[in-house]
Amino acid sequence: MSENAHRHELTEHIDADPETVEKGLVSLVLTIVELLRQLMERQALRRVEDGKLSDEQVERIGLTLMRLEEKMGELRDHFGLEPEDLNIDLGPLGPLLAPE
Amino acid sequence: MADTSGRWLYAIARELDTDALTGLRGVAGAPVHVVEDAGLVAVVSAVDLAEFGAEPLKRNLEDLDWLAATARAHDAVVTTVGGAAPAAVPLRLATVCLGDDRVRELLIRRRPDLESALALLTGRTEWGVKAYADPDALAAADAPAEPGGQGGQGSKGGAGTAYLLRRKAQLSAREKAERNASAHADRLHRELAALATAARRHPPQDPKLSGRKGWNVLNGAYLVDDAKADELAAAVERLGGEVEGVRLELTGPWPAYSFAGVEQGAEEAAR
Repeated sequence: MSENAHRHELTEHIDADPETVEKGLVSLVLTIVELLRQLMERQALRRVEDGKLSDEQVERIGLTLMRLEEKMGELRDHFGLEPEDLNIDLGPLGPLLAPE
Repeated sequence: MADTSGRWLYAIARELDTDALTGLRGVAGAPVHVVEDAGLVAVVSAVDLAEFGAEPLKRNLEDLDWLAATARAHDAVVTTVGGAAPAAVPLRLATVCLGDDRVRELLIRRRPDLESALALLTGRTEWGVKAYADPDALAAADAPAEPGGQGGQGSKGGAGTAYLLRRKAQLSAREKAERNASAHADRLHRELAALATAARRHPPQDPKLSGRKGWNVLNGAYLVDDAKADELAAAVERLGGEVEGVRLELTGPWPAYSFAGVEQGAEEAAR
């Protein structure tokens, strides 16, 4: 009985509609992937600027990042998410991702 | 009845014309009444603590429909009070005391702060100014015409290299636009604050809530002498035309939520 009461209290707080939960989870995962993609991109641009990479390496990094961006676009479309859905508001710290 | 009944606070004023409150209903449709102590008048209404006590209130505040109805009722009373007194200190949503006596206690304990807040607000009005920057327009304004045309480095690379160079140009144009927009917002705030008795910058608004495109680079509140209200409007007009891609919006008059300055203490005292 106590477990029932507990569960009831939980559902009051959490919107447990399976579809919303799935969409929320997907956007959370994609947000983190997008964060990693942006970090990698910035790191790559910095290394290219340093000029220590061969042309071939630069080309390969560029292609990888380009495909990654395409893939992200496809995934977003697939789950019906807009680019601005992939973000987390960190309150006083501002949004996790800079507006793209 | 008195035991289960709390008091929801709307505003505290001086020289309030209480006739203006006749028939006025507040949160949950309850009629408002006043609690007075030595010239300070608190406008309150009775609320059921089963709905508005600390615990149920916390739950209800997460219910957006409940919140919207409550906020509208609160705001309507605050606005009426503001129009019926030379100055009114608006209280933030959900300031609840346990009965009229506790409201009176609050008036006594916070008297110096309330008096100085009322003195500050008398004859002055709060206005809001928001600036929205359109990132694309800003970036286009000072970016080179063709993206990717950076030096001769890109000529020998393939699609991947071209992509990297394009992204680099985009990112640096964006960073520059952001820097420019934020420097411009600082300047706007300085100019507007010069016209105001007091000025505050609030955190930018979430575009999802405001439904507006673009960066909210300035979300300022300005407490302005009523005699200077026209000057402020003219300044907003003038500054809004200054920079391509930055739009200004003047809102108000507002209840002086940003400058009442007694909220923190009032909430603590209400507990």
